[in-house]
Amino acid sequence: MDIAVLVKQTVDMDQIKLNDNNEPILDDLPLKMDILSKNAVEAAVQLKEKYTGKVTAFIFGTERSTSTMKEAYAMGVDDGTVIKGYQKSDPTVTASVLAEELKKSKFDIIILGDQSSDSYSGLLAGILSSELGLDVVTNAINIEIKDKIANVTVESENEDITVETKLPAIVSVAQEINEARLPKVMQIMAAGKKPINIVEGKPDYRDDSRILSDKAPESQRKKIIYEDGKGIDEVAKILKVVK
Amino acid sequence: MKALVFSDEPKNAREIITYLRGKMDIDVISTEDKELPEYGAQKVYFYKDGFVDNLSKFLADHITKNKYDFVFISSTNTGRELAGILSYKLKMKCMPEIFSFEHGGKTVTKRFFHGGKTVVEEESDFQMFTVSASICEAEKTDKRSEIENINLDKSNYKIINVKGKNTAGTDIRNAKVIVSIGRGLGSEENIKKIQPLVDELHAEIAGSRPVCLDYKWLSEDKQVGLSGKKVRPDFYIALGISGQIQHIAGIRGSKTIIAINKDKSAPIFEECDYGIVGDLFTVVPELVKKLK
Repeated sequence: MDIAVLVKQTVDMDQIKLNDNNEPILDDLPLKMDILSKNAVEAAVQLKEKYTGKVTAFIFGTERSTSTMKEAYAMGVDDGTVIKGYQKSDPTVTASVLAEELKKSKFDIIILGDQSSDSYSGLLAGILSSELGLDVVTNAINIEIKDKIANVTVESENEDITVETKLPAIVSVAQEINEARLPKVMQIMAAGKKPINIVEGKPDYRDDSRILSDKAPESQRKKIIYEDGKGIDEVAKILKVVK
Repeated sequence: MKALVFSDEPKNAREIITYLRGKMDIDVISTEDKELPEYGAQKVYFYKDGFVDNLSKFLADHITKNKYDFVFISSTNTGRELAGILSYKLKMKCMPEIFSFEHGGKTVTKRFFHGGKTVVEEESDFQMFTVSASICEAEKTDKRSEIENINLDKSNYKIINVKGKNTAGTDIRNAKVIVSIGRGLGSEENIKKIQPLVDELHAEIAGSRPVCLDYKWLSEDKQVGLSGKKVRPDFYIALGISGQIQHIAGIRGSKTIIAINKDKSAPIFEECDYGIVGDLFTVVPELVKKLK
């Protein structure tokens, strides 16, 4: 089975500091594989292990994306392409750049994370499915494959729904689908030596939106903090209105 | 101006209509819901058995035919799939996850970015938006909407199994008082130590992501946060919750936030109205005693 996995690289958001103007300082932040991309890679590698085949990873990123690709290799990805040219979060552009590359090969299933942890947009799977003319199932917590048919279990509010869909298809995964493996040292070393295919993307970014401000939201809360055993009377008084 | 609102969850549709009401005329497409026609939309369309394929086909035709100025799609699984597909089909770029919308000459929207760390305010000519859940509290109006039932084409997708989840109790999004637990509770057994507070306040219990997803002390539907439910109770009482930014993003709509945590430097104290620095196993029983 030919499996494609789409990997996103993000800045380490836990390390974002703010300047005096409450704006994020984004220079020189370390990059890492996005959380849900790890689950996507894990899901892809598990499918390969279960049904045999090959996993190819794609990153739309920059020349700094090779470290994330090596991480994917260490987890069990066989082949990887880094498409250069990423500038900003724009799902329409990302989908078209990835589609361009994905069209060059045939895949039975294309796996990605459901929502990335920077913007939570979750639009990529839908746009990509239109670009490639494939079925799409999102927020998967289980994938079973049999004879060119995938049974994908999707998590929703009150129930887990298993949907049957024909392959090839695009499946985005939720964090609950698996626990991403921690590669062993030997695998990390081997991954470092493996070649990465690097290509130039042709992203068509438009000036169709303009950022007016990007700031940490200011808290409007009262922030009355009690210490040393104090505050219980006060809080009880406030909560009395409930009763 | 005329807008179309779509949500597969009527609750979200009611909120989005309430939010946009007065700014423009609204049609809404959702699943069967008795109350939805009471929120001031001009026309309410109900559908059954919708999947991305038959819904996107219907919506694309409907949007083109009715020449809506704006399309607002609630951010659910189905909503995001549809927004992606429609954005491609109709060549309308989609601004995702907005929680604020103003339209003068241009459109100005707000959404969280960097995992909830910042809010970006953007100006654009975009016409399609996915709307973050709980954008406001839904309120009815006197105006009744006209109702039409839609017949969708048959879908290519086939549901082969539906498994109900353990979703004990009520929907935390409707709760007036929420007692929410975090890692600081220590163990599942300790829930019974804070239960008297839950009972005393007739509250709903909820939890942070680790509590609901990693440790499974509570069921998934009780998870509050950016990736869980966004709640807006009168009182949100956070017990042993450190207050990671993703959690804060889920509680911003709360009227009053009370935090109890032994770590003085926990970020939750930056985002609460009243905070008590102390051991929750000492503070909670004392609080219950005072409330009696």
